[in-house]
Amino acid sequence: MDLFNNLALGFSTATSLANLFFCLIGVLLGTLIGVLPGIGATATIAMLLPITFQLEPVSSLIMLAGIYYGAQYGGSTTAILINMPGESSSAVTAIDGYQMARKGRAGAALAIAALGSFFAGTVSTFLVAIFAPPLTKIALQFGAAEYFSLMVVGLVSSIALASGSIIKALAMVVLGLLLGLVGTDIYSGTPRFTLGIREYSDGLNFVAVAVGVFGIAEILRNLEGEKNRTVLMSKVSGLLPTKADFKEMFAPVLRGTAIGSALGILPGGGAILAAFASYTVEKRVSKKPEEFGHGAIAGVAGPESANNAGAQTSFIPLLTLGIPANPVMALMVGAMIIQGIVPGPNVATEQPALFWGIIASMWIGNLMLVVLNLPLIGLWVKLLTIPYYVLFPIIMAFCSIGVYSVNSNVFDLYAVAFFGFIGYVLVKLRCEPAPLLLGFVLGPLLEENLRRAMILSRGDPTTFLTRPISATLLVIALGVLVIVLLPSVRKKREEVFQDEE
Amino acid sequence: MKSVEFDKTNAVCGALFVAIGLFFGFESLDLELGTAFRMGPGYFPFLLACALVLLGGIILFQAFRVEHEGIGPIAWRGLFFILPSAIFFGLTIRGLGFVPSLFLTAFIASFASSRMTPILAILLSAGLTVFSVLVFEYGLGLPFRTFGPWLGF
Amino acid sequence: MKLFKALACATAFAAVAFSSVAQAAGYPERSITMIVPFSAGGPTDTVARLVAESMSKDLGQQIIIENVGGAGGTLGAGRVAKADADGYTLLLHHIGMATSATLYRKLPYDTLKDFEYVGLVTDVPMTIVTRKDMAASDLKGLIEFAKANKDKVTVANAGIGAASHLCGMMFMSAIQTPLVTVPYKGTGPAMTDLLGGQVDIMCDQTTNTTKQIQGGTIKAYAVTSPKRLDVLKDVPTAVEAGLAGFEVGIWHGVYTPKGTPAAVNERLSKALKVALKDPNVAARFAELGTVPSSEADATPAALKAKLESEIARWQPVIKAAGQYAD
Repeated sequence: MDLFNNLALGFSTATSLANLFFCLIGVLLGTLIGVLPGIGATATIAMLLPITFQLEPVSSLIMLAGIYYGAQYGGSTTAILINMPGESSSAVTAIDGYQMARKGRAGAALAIAALGSFFAGTVSTFLVAIFAPPLTKIALQFGAAEYFSLMVVGLVSSIALASGSIIKALAMVVLGLLLGLVGTDIYSGTPRFTLGIREYSDGLNFVAVAVGVFGIAEILRNLEGEKNRTVLMSKVSGLLPTKADFKEMFAPVLRGTAIGSALGILPGGGAILAAFASYTVEKRVSKKPEEFGHGAIAGVAGPESANNAGAQTSFIPLLTLGIPANPVMALMVGAMIIQGIVPGPNVATEQPALFWGIIASMWIGNLMLVVLNLPLIGLWVKLLTIPYYVLFPIIMAFCSIGVYSVNSNVFDLYAVAFFGFIGYVLVKLRCEPAPLLLGFVLGPLLEENLRRAMILSRGDPTTFLTRPISATLLVIALGVLVIVLLPSVRKKREEVFQDEE
Repeated sequence: MKSVEFDKTNAVCGALFVAIGLFFGFESLDLELGTAFRMGPGYFPFLLACALVLLGGIILFQAFRVEHEGIGPIAWRGLFFILPSAIFFGLTIRGLGFVPSLFLTAFIASFASSRMTPILAILLSAGLTVFSVLVFEYGLGLPFRTFGPWLGF
Repeated sequence: MKLFKALACATAFAAVAFSSVAQAAGYPERSITMIVPFSAGGPTDTVARLVAESMSKDLGQQIIIENVGGAGGTLGAGRVAKADADGYTLLLHHIGMATSATLYRKLPYDTLKDFEYVGLVTDVPMTIVTRKDMAASDLKGLIEFAKANKDKVTVANAGIGAASHLCGMMFMSAIQTPLVTVPYKGTGPAMTDLLGGQVDIMCDQTTNTTKQIQGGTIKAYAVTSPKRLDVLKDVPTAVEAGLAGFEVGIWHGVYTPKGTPAAVNERLSKALKVALKDPNVAARFAELGTVPSSEADATPAALKAKLESEIARWQPVIKAAGQYAD
């Protein structure tokens, strides 16, 4: 079988002593920088990218892939420990992960995230190896209409992110969508809502918004009752998940892996939705949906697996088409070009050792992450015993560095302060930040694809229904809407009646 | 703390969304709206702004039906020190340079808590600065100026 | 801390003292920052890093790349325009330096008055490509097809000011037919839709298209360089294929802030020439389908002439298209 020969070639490349070493260094550096609060995967990779330029092509890319996984893992760690997501996917992890940490189960949350990611990583690595070429063909069927419909599914699912008022969650999504549109309109070149500030013409920086509405709002909330509250975190109980936890995480991990793998293949930003979609599904199928938002294990296990699976399969469009699916992949392309490898459809046939070496190293990198991080969990959890008033100057310092280092744009720092303020106000008004972030990442995609679909169909809105994939997605969206809304409407009605009694 | 007739939190929340929606709505009207085929830059945001006004209106309306607990204490001290620390870093990173700017950023943020003592704040900020210089400037070679032109460098 | 500060003081004082007197003699004495007005990993960043590494060797000082992305490169250029004219801040910018002078009606700097010149780096050719099932057999056939179906034929680009946007405008102006423009955010999504046959035509840098053309996933009709390319021998130039005068390239140049001593610019130009002769740089450039600028072009005078002529050349095209970025 070709596949086995290829994988054998890949593993023999990836397990050379040098490459193992670089993979380890990459994973280690990625984790260590990514774990610093306010420094997410993109910033980590942008910082570490130049280091890899000095190496051999294969080693350099293996190290870079390692940095990528490490950074993602590190990002989830900060999301769980201090509610500081560095990218959209870990914003979902933060919802329940941080609540678990507050209940003293940080260790379990971290272990669940690690194990779920590893499982998802393993499965999706094999998916990449076996199905990369045929899956690419399907991905190319996705045009603007399909992406628009997919984003609609994402939008509808966002309702499930809310654990409180649905109307408020919807308002937050819409606000997020609007904030996502800040910047230059790509169709006309008109700057929108930038208040005349040129520095915002490429849009608001995601990390600035995320750090503001999640992290800083959380810091402020913790500061408000300082005088009469002494303990922020309850006692840490057990570092590792219990048997019951394992049972509870098993199915969510499987589902998350499937969702993430499927969405990650789409080059137009499907992976963004992976974690959100998984959260929606888990909340829907759970027997205890009321636990979500208060430390549900499935709310960590599902999205984390989905996220990691999506991260792996987003290599598919890169390796088979030469097209980067997200900013991180775009950085990978840059690294490849510097190494003299121009990514394209022929990488697999022209450079089999490189192609399969990278695929094999993905799995090895994931394995290293688990082996490295399980023992580290104890250390991370210990960090929580640092008094809060010592912790947050550190957080502010790293946030500032992380946000600034991406584009050397000081206006991103002003955005951090502004969104910290807005985030705090909204938290005080009992609005949840996660739907806002989802709206923020979906906003530009939704509008872009809507307008593009209309241009391509010469203004015919039936294009969304006559294209089969798009129509199917819209039906799914409708289904999700019905499924999500019905029970909550019922519950709401009950609540109202109870209130009246 | 209980409000007499309506839920103040939700009322403020609804009003805020309406206000933000109106802001975006009026801003989009300045942009070209276009047609459904050739949507202008203002088309989509205008729709969204209308939706936000509507949702804000519903929240506002509902505030008159349900009672809830109040807003609770506000972290004035935190707002006063945490937010400016990020702005301070932005204002000074290029002028003062990485070391003084980061040191002062951490130092300012430290005072958001009433438990922080000046000595501890200095020690913490200094330690952080040394760590960051070692990691980001020397370790990763990020293009920061250690000391900036405002200090005569 | 004290020792460290004292040390930093001493070196910095030395730098200040020397810089005002005989700058070129000892130049460079410390590391140089090269600002790339686009994010890390992009094609311009790649060119910058390759050249900077080689230039560093000749200068004996490290050139550090700083990515200051945003607003089509104008933020980074603006930063350099305001930087100290001591030769320690450089700008590596592409054709956008010339086109943004027209694309942006309010620039925070004066393109012609706020910079000094070091030299041209490279001129990346463009390719006119289509989805792979396009029927036309040559460029003439493609143009006929486009003219006959001008309401249906779509031209993709990677956003306002992008290479593909400029070349697309030039193409439509050359064939005197406005086609349906479909903008994308970046080259990746635009190329994806071209591969998937969702859009018809794109004109983009060889950096992005060569591998796809070789892989047969898209169809190439012409290259926009004066001569055929080694990597795409079968593809005629646009002029050969019948589009007279259609030569477009994404040229890159290195600039310094206004007032930088001529001797410093000459020193940098010399380092640039050395870098462009570096076989490693040439090899990497070749894989991108481009060649280093000649020794005569890697000079301040050549870059100045190029910038002026390109501003004049693009102004009517952009004004005719009526598209501005602010």
